[in-house]
Amino acid sequence: MPPVLEISNYTLDYASPRGDARALDAIDLAIGRGEALGLVGESGSGKTSLAWAIMRYLPGNAREPGGSIKLSGEELTTKTPAEIAALRGRRIGMVFQDPGTSLNPTLPLGEQLAEVLVRHRALTRRQAWAEGEAMFARVGLKQPAQMMRRYPHEASGGEKQRVVIATAFACNPECILFDEPTTALDVITARQILDLFAELQAETSVASLYISHDLALVAQVAHRVAVIHRGRIVEQRTAAGIFTNPRNDYTKRLIAAVPDPGRRLSGAAPIPSGVPLVEARAVSVHYGRTSRLATFFGRARERVVGNRAVSLSVDPGEILGIVGESGSGKSTLAKALTGLNPFTGEIRFDGRRIGGIADMDKAYRRNVQIVFQHPDASLNPRQRIAEILSRPLALYGGQDGPRDMAVARLLEQVHLPADYARRYPHELSGGEKQRVAIARAFASKPRLVICDEITSALDVSVQASVVELLLDLQRRHGTAYLFITHDINLVRQIAHRIAVMYRGDLVELLDIEQLEAGPRHRYTRALIEAVPRPVGGTTNITIGRHSPGPIPGGFDK
Amino acid sequence: MSLSYLLKRCGLTAYTLIVVSLIVFAVTQVLPGDAATMLLGENATPAALAAVRDRLGLDAPIWVQYGHWLGGVLQGDFGTSLRTGQAVGPVMVEALGRSLLLAVLAIGFMLSLALPLGILAAVRRGRAADLLVGFVSYIGVSLPEFVTATLFGLLFADWLQWLPATGYVPMTENPASSLAHLVLPVLTVSVMLIAHVSRMVRSELVDVLHTDYIRAARLKGLSARAVLLKHGLRNALLPTITIVALDVGYLLGGVIVVEEIFALPGIGRQLIVAIEARDLPAIQAGALIMAATYSVVNFAADVAYAWLDKRIQYD
Repeated sequence: MPPVLEISNYTLDYASPRGDARALDAIDLAIGRGEALGLVGESGSGKTSLAWAIMRYLPGNAREPGGSIKLSGEELTTKTPAEIAALRGRRIGMVFQDPGTSLNPTLPLGEQLAEVLVRHRALTRRQAWAEGEAMFARVGLKQPAQMMRRYPHEASGGEKQRVVIATAFACNPECILFDEPTTALDVITARQILDLFAELQAETSVASLYISHDLALVAQVAHRVAVIHRGRIVEQRTAAGIFTNPRNDYTKRLIAAVPDPGRRLSGAAPIPSGVPLVEARAVSVHYGRTSRLATFFGRARERVVGNRAVSLSVDPGEILGIVGESGSGKSTLAKALTGLNPFTGEIRFDGRRIGGIADMDKAYRRNVQIVFQHPDASLNPRQRIAEILSRPLALYGGQDGPRDMAVARLLEQVHLPADYARRYPHELSGGEKQRVAIARAFASKPRLVICDEITSALDVSVQASVVELLLDLQRRHGTAYLFITHDINLVRQIAHRIAVMYRGDLVELLDIEQLEAGPRHRYTRALIEAVPRPVGGTTNITIGRHSPGPIPGGFDK
Repeated sequence: MSLSYLLKRCGLTAYTLIVVSLIVFAVTQVLPGDAATMLLGENATPAALAAVRDRLGLDAPIWVQYGHWLGGVLQGDFGTSLRTGQAVGPVMVEALGRSLLLAVLAIGFMLSLALPLGILAAVRRGRAADLLVGFVSYIGVSLPEFVTATLFGLLFADWLQWLPATGYVPMTENPASSLAHLVLPVLTVSVMLIAHVSRMVRSELVDVLHTDYIRAARLKGLSARAVLLKHGLRNALLPTITIVALDVGYLLGGVIVVEEIFALPGIGRQLIVAIEARDLPAIQAGALIMAATYSVVNFAADVAYAWLDKRIQYD
């Protein structure tokens, strides 16, 4: 019996005016019935191109010089568009990265599943609707009948991804491609989706291609792992073998770059001097305003809480990690500390009281700097790097010598060549842009730098080098960091203390040693357990294991 | 649709109308000279002026006059024309009816061409059909109405003699002749509307066709037709509803030139006549009726939009 999906010697080029660019080079892959193959690669490695090639969804400039893609022995590359359309969704399905954008916002969730059944299994609408309800129940959606009638904006991210998964499994396809299905989700939700994947994978005999940038995760959900680098499969091994015994150099580098919570990167915590550098005392932030009409009718709506009386402090030279899922208030706190959000309560900086945005004078702003998640959004695309870095120098002064020398020094500090000063942001890679953003934050010689998810848009290997740079700067300047992230493994490597936030509350604040010993709060435990650890052998997600049941929504104290 | 959303929209519409009535009333108050001097002319005796002021209630405080006027309007009484001595309400409503007939025909005709053209241009983006639609659209947008009106008049009325050049015949009198008289005005105003609505549909549809959910729909194996009609168009046409509602405003007040050229006695033309004669009650009635119609149409558009896109009601 042939493998369900068999790709042999497949090559893909993208034509461009400057000649063809090779996206995939002599790919050989095979997935059998009931098997899950993980495909790991960084951005630009060709992993998504491979998915589009399998789905026969290639852009107009794609050229296929050779090779074959077979589904249960049938060649796909020679099929007509009509034949492909009849096959997609029925024999081969796909689950996408972001359920928020892959569902049509103006159609009910049930309709988006039922239409597949109507199209491929020739059911009547009534039959399709009933079947859809059963599918919703099967993927663990509570109240499936109601969920069928809901619209995407009325469901959570996890629920939406369950709908997408139900749709992919609707016609019992032979093969399903999972393209980073948990990347857009919160840690705990992601874990639940992984459990669902493992369960469905075991129940059905589907052949899965699980695409991800996360080696640790893939090694735990897949039977075999293929590592793709610059369009080539550089290594293909069993999931257990890839971590314990990698052969390829690139794989080894990739593994080394994966944050391992067992390997500390930063030094010991600074000895507390008695006076914390920054102290937040009962800082609260509320979003939104009550509409005039609601006030008029006497229905003052409760405002959305961003932070609820958060109190914490950062010592000079300390790295405080803040973790929590999206919407937990991590970034809200960062914005309050930098004066981007109005807040109540008070902040103390070096003993000085800051009661509101008006108190944040030039000295405060010079000392408290922020680096944002997306350098693309935080660097002005129309300014050269020199202009970007000159702004804080002009504003805060303090640099002696000519301006371009100061810019060159800043670039050198973040290990970028001095001639980058003449470039525009789009001429830099993602990691280089983030280095520029870091250099800009350090231009005023701040004592606290707030890092708001600064590595989450970067590839693992780039992330590792950015983190290394941060630690290097911290050792040199004694700067304190407020390191906001959702990556628990990373924060365990570098933070001295960790603050855990949940729905606007600070639920737990603990030393790194305490965290290793086992946190007390249920939510912190759930958060840590949900993350796959990159240690060969000690997997905590096992294929086919039934999900431990839904994690209750409230983790309130 | 939630009731609170409907109530909120109703409330906003009512609020708009009150503000509009205040502005309309205030503007006519600040015009030099009052109704009495306009009525009797500049050489009237003070006694005659006083008598007229007394009869029209012009000596009462402004807010009393406003209340009086608004009370009348709410009962359908817009006052008496200073020019003709007839009630202005029925005259304006009749003129509005003619303008609305033009508007409805123009929008219907426009949509029947603009939607297919926009869709065609989006689906065949960058190819000959798209470029042709774009080229013709830009010509339509850039030609002023009086040019198109004159060209159409020359072609269809003068040279070909297919249609009457100007005039208006009521529907009730002779439907065939009525429609024949409306063809040229409808064509003229549609040219510009077709151009900008088809551009709008094209750009919205191009955006929608690049979304993840369209890709997801294709990868579910739906036919190209189902993807376009069910997933694409619905989302792409939503903003068009708002645009069409805004066009109604243009069709009521902005087509005075067209009404003038084709001698179509619509509300725009009535208003011009009223302004020239400084016929205050008629100006007030015309402006208020126009604003009310515009508000109601936009209210309907908001409701339709919210019904089609459920996310809207959460704003």
